[in-house]
Parts: sequence; C-alpha cells; structure tokens
Amino acid sequence: MFNYTFQWRQALQKLPLLLDGALVTLQIALLSMAMGIAFAVVLAVARNAKSRWASAPASAWIEVSRNTPALFQIYMAHFGLGSFGIYLSPYVALLAGITFNNAGYLAETFRGALRAIPGTQMRAARSLGMTSIQAFRLIIMPQMFRIAFLPTTNQMVWAILMTSLGVTVGMNSDLAGVTQDINVRSFRTFEIFAIAAVIYYLIAKAVTLGARLLASRLFRY
Amino acid sequence: MKTTIILGSLLAATGLGTSASADKLDDIMASGTLRCAVVLDFPPMGSRDADNNPIGFDVDYCNDLAAALGVTAEIVETPFPDRIPALVSGRVDVGVASTSDTLERAKTVGFTIPYFAFTNVVLTREGAGIEKFEDMSGKTVGSVSGTFEGIKLEENIKEWGAGEFRPYQSQADVFLALSQGQIDATVVTSTVASAIVASGQYEGLLIKGDAPYPVDYVGLIALRQEYGMLNYLDLFINQQVRSGRYQELYDKWVGGAAPKLTIDNVYR
Amino acid sequence: MFDTALTLSDLMFLIKGAGMTLAVTFFAVTGGTLLGLLFGVVRAQVSVWAALPLIFVLDVFRSVPLLIQLVLANAFQAIAGLNMPPFVTSCIVLALYTSAYCTEIVRGAIEAVPTVTRRAARSLGLTWGQDMRFIVFPMALRVALPSWIGLTLGVMKDSALVLWLGLIELLRSGQILVTRLQEPMFILIVVGAIYFVMSFPIARLGGQLEKRWREND
Repeated sequence: MFNYTFQWRQALQKLPLLLDGALVTLQIALLSMAMGIAFAVVLAVARNAKSRWASAPASAWIEVSRNTPALFQIYMAHFGLGSFGIYLSPYVALLAGITFNNAGYLAETFRGALRAIPGTQMRAARSLGMTSIQAFRLIIMPQMFRIAFLPTTNQMVWAILMTSLGVTVGMNSDLAGVTQDINVRSFRTFEIFAIAAVIYYLIAKAVTLGARLLASRLFRY
Repeated sequence: MKTTIILGSLLAATGLGTSASADKLDDIMASGTLRCAVVLDFPPMGSRDADNNPIGFDVDYCNDLAAALGVTAEIVETPFPDRIPALVSGRVDVGVASTSDTLERAKTVGFTIPYFAFTNVVLTREGAGIEKFEDMSGKTVGSVSGTFEGIKLEENIKEWGAGEFRPYQSQADVFLALSQGQIDATVVTSTVASAIVASGQYEGLLIKGDAPYPVDYVGLIALRQEYGMLNYLDLFINQQVRSGRYQELYDKWVGGAAPKLTIDNVYR
Repeated sequence: MFDTALTLSDLMFLIKGAGMTLAVTFFAVTGGTLLGLLFGVVRAQVSVWAALPLIFVLDVFRSVPLLIQLVLANAFQAIAGLNMPPFVTSCIVLALYTSAYCTEIVRGAIEAVPTVTRRAARSLGLTWGQDMRFIVFPMALRVALPSWIGLTLGVMKDSALVLWLGLIELLRSGQILVTRLQEPMFILIVVGAIYFVMSFPIARLGGQLEKRWREND
C-alpha cells in the first residue's frame, strides 16, 4: 500500500537519547510550574487589589499571556529580549516563556478559586487575631489550592506540551529538540516523531496519575 | 480529491489515461507547475525583495528549470531542516536549495550532480574576540540544524570539549542570534557570508578566515526512486554550465568566476 | 523605536498572515466542533467501557504536543501518498485536536443537565431526539458556550504552529519581516498586538457571557 519502507530499527537505536531528552522536558515543565504557581498567586492577589498600581500590571501580564500564542511568548523571550541586549539561553528562554504563560493562566484559575471562598472566612480569621497575611496563608491559600487542583494539573500537562516549542529557539536537549536533531540527520521523520509522541503521551499520563495520587493524600478529610 | 484519485486509477487501470506509467517528470509536465523547495533566508541563493517576493540564485535556477520543462515555477519556501521532509512528503517536486550531497541524506533522497559549490568561512561579530577558526573553542556558536557546516561545527565543539553549540531552525535565526550577541560565531558558506556582510543588514558582522572543511558540493534533490527526473536534472545542470547561464547567474548574484563543479581524478 | 522601516505593504503582508491564521482556525474549529458534538453525545450516552477506544484516541490528541502531531501527520500523508497540501493537513490535524477538547466540553454540558429534567421530558412523551433538541441543547449550550469560546481562541493561538509545515500565517510572516528588516522587537510587538486584537475582545465576550449566565442560575 505504501511506497515507503519503515526503518524502525534505525529509529529505536536512538531511544536512549530520546529518554535523556524526556528528562529535560520533565525538568523544564516542573520548574516552570513551580515558578508559575508562585507568580500566579501574586498575580491573582494583585489583580484583585484596589490599588491600580498593583492591578494594572497584573492584568497586563495575565491578558497578554492568555491572548497571544505560547510560541510567540517563547520567541519573544529569546529574540525579542535579545534586541535589548538581554541574552537568554534557549533553556532559560523556554523556561521563561512557559513560566510567563503558566503564571497568566493559573492566576485566572486561582482568582476563580478565591471567588469561591466565602469572604466571611477572612473576617473570622482576622477576628481570631491573625494578621491578614497569616489569614491568607493559613486559611485562604490551602482552600484555593484545593479548589484549583484539577485545573492546575491540566496546566502541568500543558506545560509539558509547551516544552516542545523550545526547538524554535535553538533548544536541542529536550525531547522535541533531540527528536528534531535526529530527524534532520537521518530524515526518518515519521518513525522518530512517532516514538517521541509515545514518550510524550507516557509522560503526560504519568503526571496526571501522579497528581491524582498526590491529591488523594493531600486533600483527605 | 478522492474522486479524482479513483477516476485517475480507473483510467490508469483501463489504459485510457496518460498516467499508466507516469513518473514524476510526466506528472510535472501534465500539471503545468514545477514546485521548487527554496531556502529564502540564505542570500544570495534565496531571499525576499522589498515586496516580500522570492529572489536569488536558486529562485532563478528554478525558473530556468521550469522554462526548460515548459511549465510555470512555484517557489515553496522551506527552512533548511524542512527541505528533505518537504520533498519526501510530496509538497515539492524538486529541491533547489543548496543541499549538500551527504551519504546519510542519499539514503533518503536522490541527488543530482553538483550545481553549486561552497567553501565555508567563520562569521563573527565585532568584539567577540574571534580571529580565526580555532578561536571558536570555548565560545557559544550556532548554526542551522542538520546542515553540512552545522554538523561539522557541532563535532568541532565536541572535539574541543569547550563551548556550546546551538542549532537553529533557519539561517535567519542564526544571523539574528549572532548580531544580537546570543552566539559569538557561526560557520557559514562564503557566498552567503559576503552577501550578508555586504548587505549591511546586520551591523558589526565580520568574516574571519576559512573553516578547514572540504568543499561543500550541493546538488538538486528529487525523490530517490525518480530516475527519470534525476536524469533530466543532471542534463539540465550540464546544459546550464555549457550554455554559460551558470556563469551569468553567478555574475548576477555573487560576482567573479563561478566555482568549478567537477572533482579531479574521479567520475561522478 | 518607532523610527521603523516597516512599510504599509509590510503591514499588509502581516494582515495577510493573520488572514491565514483565521482561515486555519475557522476550518479547524468548524470541523472540530462538529466532530466534538458527535463524540460528546456518544460519550454522554454510552457506557465508559463501550466508549473506551474513543476516550483513548481523544486522550492521545490531548497528551501529545501539537507540533509533534503536525509533523507526524504530514509525514504520514506523504508516506500514504495522499498528496495533501500543508493547508489541508494542518486543518485536519487542528480539527481533530479541537474535537478532543470539544468532546469533553459537550459531554460536561450534557451531563450538567439534571437527569430529572430529562426524565420529566421523556415522561411527557418527548422522543430522545426531541428531548435532545428542545430540553438538553438549550440548557447545555449555556454551560458549554463560554468554554467553547475559550477553546476557539486557544486553537487560534495554537494554529501558529502550522508555520512548521510551511504555511505563512501571522507569526511566520512576522519572522519573514524580521529577517529582512532586522527589527525583531518592534515587529514582534506588532505581531503580538494583532493576535491580541483578534483574541481579547472575544475572550472578554466569553467572560461576560459566563458571568451573566451564572448570575441567572
């Protein structure tokens, strides 16, 4: 049927290289999520703040990250900032781009979660003598994370998928970068990308499963 | 589309159609268009003019080829890493895209005799502290992913054990990265390097000597099994040189004596 | 910074790229929504076990990077000798990708309609089809529309990846201009602004709808 001979042997020989790349992919995704969550909490609070000096920059970050392509954001981090003399290596540019994107999306998720927490809780905590920071950290934030847990897991999967965009800014150590590198040498595009697809799928599944296990331990009543 | 395929195969099966044993060459002549893969961020071989239309040596070469075949040319822009995939995936008929004829690639696509030859030079930026090829050791360098000089440069960096190699997906990204200071140097073909420096498009770029790589002969590419097509292309290249058109195009885009396309002591 | 070599014709070049982005998005979302409706109804009707193959396939579309999907599909169509232009390949891949998310939206929306409401409808003598059309559809639409708008915008942004197959969409036309004019920051900002203008008003509309309908509940 096909006028093409599949060369799986040639492609499978590269499996160790691809698995090394998968580790880098996972590393970037985890780092970008950790930083993204930290920024997102600040952004969510800042956007709800009364002061325009706090809410306007937060709104700008959130809206730009949500209304432009992730590929654009990563490209901007590498070549855009480069024209100001700020040189981010492909790794850092990719990490910065995904963190920027994660933070924007998660901020809106957290804001939604904050809305779902009754305002009376804050008042109750304050009347017990907690400072507003204590109340936020000890009463509001844990509930916020619980409500936002599922969307946050989804964002984690998104972060993994987004790492594949690093190849456009010269990234060659993550899974997509390694895949493309092997591809341009051997031109066995289908075989090598098919193997990469399977690995991506397995990583995404492992992360979802891991998150579920984590949730069942963390959020036990 | 499906109906045409069914119809086509029916016609073919009954021997009524012209496509009974049509090869690529027949297909091109029947369709009236020749789709050429050309790299458009690789002046003077391929670039875009002020109206963003494709121009360059390779563009003219493709037009000549189309004229010889009596069809119209369609320039399909392909970044370097996409040339062979574009060909294998049937998006283009022929690659007029400065493709180095490596044995690794010849496992997948068919090469013609050389239609151009490059030597490679070190291209760097003012103040990067690179005066010759060996100075690149320990620096951050970059090139286009999977090209002849890119693969060689990555090997050099590995050999030296110092420095970093960054593969980009297009030549434009490499020059951009170099002029911004993201990378300190690149190895690139001499014609392209002089064209880029002469254009004044990027400030502060300098050529610093030759890279000690063998002459990089480049061929046209077509599908590996399309012997009819490859045969025609070989003859076309021969005719371009014989008729003086090769030198004419070289004068137009590069200037000087066009590089010799034969190798001593061996047949192709 | 505003002293730029960007001419009006270059701006038109970018607008043309934006047109390509919109065209790809249109076909992808139309195809993806139709498939998503079909798959979503199937998912809501049949048991999990019966739908398992469908669930698995759609899950793959959501767990593999779009870039990899595009390259794979393009390589596959070449191997299979389908001779599809990259535009068609891109639209098909993006449509399947869209359908994977749309299915979940449709399923969630249908399941959000209380079972008692549907039982009541059926006991009034409505057929399954009538129940779907007059009871489920209007109620589910309110649940689904805001997410669907979000999905559409998501697909528009993700469509930037089709540049990998050689389509000159908005981001790619921006890159082409950067190559010629060497003003990366300025051109990228213009490109970003065009994306923003195409996306932000609709995103706002979606948020507004969501808010208004929630208040009515």
